[in-house]
Amino acid sequence: METIANDFTINIATANGTGSQSANLILLQSLFEMGVPVSGKNMFPSNISGLPTWYIVRLSNHGYQAPGNRTHIQVLVNPATWHEDLESLEPGSVVIWNENAKMEMTRDDIISYPIPMSKLARTINPKIAKLVTNIIYVGVLAEILGIDQDELEAAVAKQFKGKATAIELNITALGLGRDYFKENLTKSDPYVVEKRPIEKPQFFIEGNEAAALGCIYGGVQMLAWYPITPSSSLAEGIINYIPQLRTDDDGKVTCAVVQAEDELAAAGMVLGAGWAGGRGMTATSGPGISLMQEFIGLGYFAEIPSVFWDVVRVGPSTGLPTRTQQSDITMLYEGSHGDTQHIVLIPGTVEECFEYGWRTFDYAERFQTPIFVLSDLDLGMNRWACDGFEYPDQPMDRGKVVRDRDMFEAFEEFGRYLDVDGDGIPYRTLPGSGMDPILYRGTGHNTKGQYSEKPHDYYDLMMRLRRKIDGARDELPAPIIREEKECQVGIIYLGSMENTIQEIDDLLEETGIKVSQCRVRALPMHSEIENFIRRHEVTVVLEINRDGQLYGILRKELPNELIPKVLSVAYSDGIPPRAKIYFERILEVLKEVGK
Amino acid sequence: MSDRPKRAARAIKLNMLDEPKDSYTGGKSSLCPGCGHDQISNVIITAAWENGIEPHRVAKMSGIGCSSKTPAYYLGQSHGFNTVHGRMPSVTTGAYSVNKDLLYIGVSGDGDSASIGIGQLIHAIRRNMDMVYIIENNGVYGLTKGQYSATADIGSKKKKGAPNETQPIDLCALAINLGCSFVARSFSGSKKQLGSLLKAAMSHKGFALIDVISPCVTFNNNDESMRSYGYVKDNEITLHMTDYIPHFNPVQEVEVPEGHFTDITLHDGSTIRLETISAEHDPGNAVAALTALHEAEMNKKHVTGLLYFDSSKPSLAEDMDLVDTPLVDVPDTVLRPSKDTLDKINAVLHS
Repeated sequence: METIANDFTINIATANGTGSQSANLILLQSLFEMGVPVSGKNMFPSNISGLPTWYIVRLSNHGYQAPGNRTHIQVLVNPATWHEDLESLEPGSVVIWNENAKMEMTRDDIISYPIPMSKLARTINPKIAKLVTNIIYVGVLAEILGIDQDELEAAVAKQFKGKATAIELNITALGLGRDYFKENLTKSDPYVVEKRPIEKPQFFIEGNEAAALGCIYGGVQMLAWYPITPSSSLAEGIINYIPQLRTDDDGKVTCAVVQAEDELAAAGMVLGAGWAGGRGMTATSGPGISLMQEFIGLGYFAEIPSVFWDVVRVGPSTGLPTRTQQSDITMLYEGSHGDTQHIVLIPGTVEECFEYGWRTFDYAERFQTPIFVLSDLDLGMNRWACDGFEYPDQPMDRGKVVRDRDMFEAFEEFGRYLDVDGDGIPYRTLPGSGMDPILYRGTGHNTKGQYSEKPHDYYDLMMRLRRKIDGARDELPAPIIREEKECQVGIIYLGSMENTIQEIDDLLEETGIKVSQCRVRALPMHSEIENFIRRHEVTVVLEINRDGQLYGILRKELPNELIPKVLSVAYSDGIPPRAKIYFERILEVLKEVGK
Repeated sequence: MSDRPKRAARAIKLNMLDEPKDSYTGGKSSLCPGCGHDQISNVIITAAWENGIEPHRVAKMSGIGCSSKTPAYYLGQSHGFNTVHGRMPSVTTGAYSVNKDLLYIGVSGDGDSASIGIGQLIHAIRRNMDMVYIIENNGVYGLTKGQYSATADIGSKKKKGAPNETQPIDLCALAINLGCSFVARSFSGSKKQLGSLLKAAMSHKGFALIDVISPCVTFNNNDESMRSYGYVKDNEITLHMTDYIPHFNPVQEVEVPEGHFTDITLHDGSTIRLETISAEHDPGNAVAALTALHEAEMNKKHVTGLLYFDSSKPSLAEDMDLVDTPLVDVPDTVLRPSKDTLDKINAVLHS
């Protein structure tokens, strides 16, 4: 039989709260250390214990990071999803199943490896048999696929840092799984793991942790947050790094942390910090941003530097709290009542999560406005390979702040909202500084910041605000463009779709369609994006939502003659994007326009 | 200060910072003529001037409503933030986190504090954030033309429409139950009592709540209302006239000795009798304070004065373990850890 090396997908079906996450991460880490291109996706429920969880490990010679288009190896531990998982398998798939789960094997067209996982686990310690069961299937997988014992043990040691008993127990359990397979079963499947030379050193990290570290290096001075999946680990990441990076010798900190009573209060605190001259931020998800709308408008209108991370989950309403989506694009870009427009940064990699972590504060203070970062559950809570983080290449940009009398006197006329430089960005003074005070307000105001309902004051203010944010387009991160010579079909996409785009591109290329890629990294959109559309015969806007929100923004902002050239492919079912689904939909829309 | 002899001869009175009272005034009020809120603004001006507070070290905070418009009418040399309805405490918390050394004076109304923003008020109290929180309490929504607020008494009647039948929230009782470290009640016409309370509150380290009954001359000034001038004039009882300033020298003596009373003329010509009726009241005793509030309520009276005080609670800045320098004054080079530290983190992650 011909072997298939490093190119298959493993789906592990367990229940959450049973310790399966640790076992799965050990599997992932050991593959990673063997130089196998691998990605892991955790499909977990909004629940503490007992509901179905799937962990998808994809090995891909092409380096594809998306969950695979089919399962090659199914690990069945959870009786609750047993039949559903079995039925969805293609003939010839491998099933490693717990013989002690009191469930039937109902398929005879698959390669079946029954393992008495619970029984083996009980031989170690009956009290924690459930926990040990998970590590036993990792041992079985290691034996079947040929995973290095050394790498497995190193991964166990990394997972249970310094906890000798746990390390020993897990290594014993791995051995039990391995030995059982060796002694009782014969390998009859083609899947193997082959060690590859590691070309560049990388490590695994979650987007939220990378972002947290970035915020720390951005000099965050106040974090106000309210716990919500999938953003909590971002806030907690900051809290965890403060002792190491933002605490002086006396144990005093340079970053205040407030766990707010709700997201409204968190937003208010962020604005308060920005108003007082500090770098304030919050991390939340869609439901939190919904609650913050009123303050977002105040931040825009009163022009207050502030930073909001939205780690998006599936909406609307409570939605699917532990699933991923790109559905807050419109809400962030046009947040709050009245005419508004906001700067939104959109990271697509963990390196960018770090970079935007510090950069957003510079943008917030430069443009004196709320800045949003649109991440998502897939990028934020799954582990991604990372080359390492680059130190900020420029000092902090604290924006136009009048800090002393000399600077103040140099103004011919001073007004908090006076456009002195013609870029729409006025100068501000800070409370406590002794510079000219103003009473900030969310009501209409003139260039001096005084209350005004005069038509020209309101009109001029709104037009200046538009000039300010619109003028930011080309100062924000430019799109990443990978262009084909032919310029037939362009694909515009954003954020965590970065992990699926190459696979989609390759699938299209197999059908003879060469596509150029353009990843949007900020709103308002860079002028290069319009040029990209102009150069291509047709452009598909690809996004993980139902309505094509980015497409909607493009339609609104592009010149009329370009609109017919732009098509939308928007799809979301909660699962991180699988290439095949988007590929097929792209084909469909291209067919509709005769491509 | 007026006690310096060389200043005494001058026509313009100066405070300890050599500032005239004019340095503490603000713009012209746009509230209804005779509004109690304007009197409170004047008391704020006087208290800040007499306490010798540097105007630029004050931050004026407010929400939305008649009361929240008033920061435009006092302390014109101070920065301020007229935020959104009921959410002033959170904005203040954020500002305070990065600049804990400013004096935060918040002004709010009963719509702001007892309804839409009651959650934020509660949590600001819970954190014991250093600020003065003045509630200009009139029992009605003024800017939207006279709807009942959550502090309106049962049976109180608007000029038109049905009487209020929902029981009121007593914000002082609420605050005491929450462990608020400074709780007082006063009346907008009681300039001296309010002034003394305000000066003490300004010096307090922690959250100082002053609920000021401030009758609405337009929408809540019929005699059935417990917050009308006529009603309060006849039914106010007073605890200590306080001048307790724990971190600052008092600049004005209390004028009402125990067991005596004084009549104060209000702006509309009526007088109010302020009595120091309860020399025994111990402001450190929450039970006694609540008893006084409940007894006053039973007897349809308002008890005023410093109801509860506790200086032993750590303030929010202490709880957060912040460096001594306000965070806004910490240099960028300290806020951003060195390149060296990131190199180490990269190395650890790679290992």
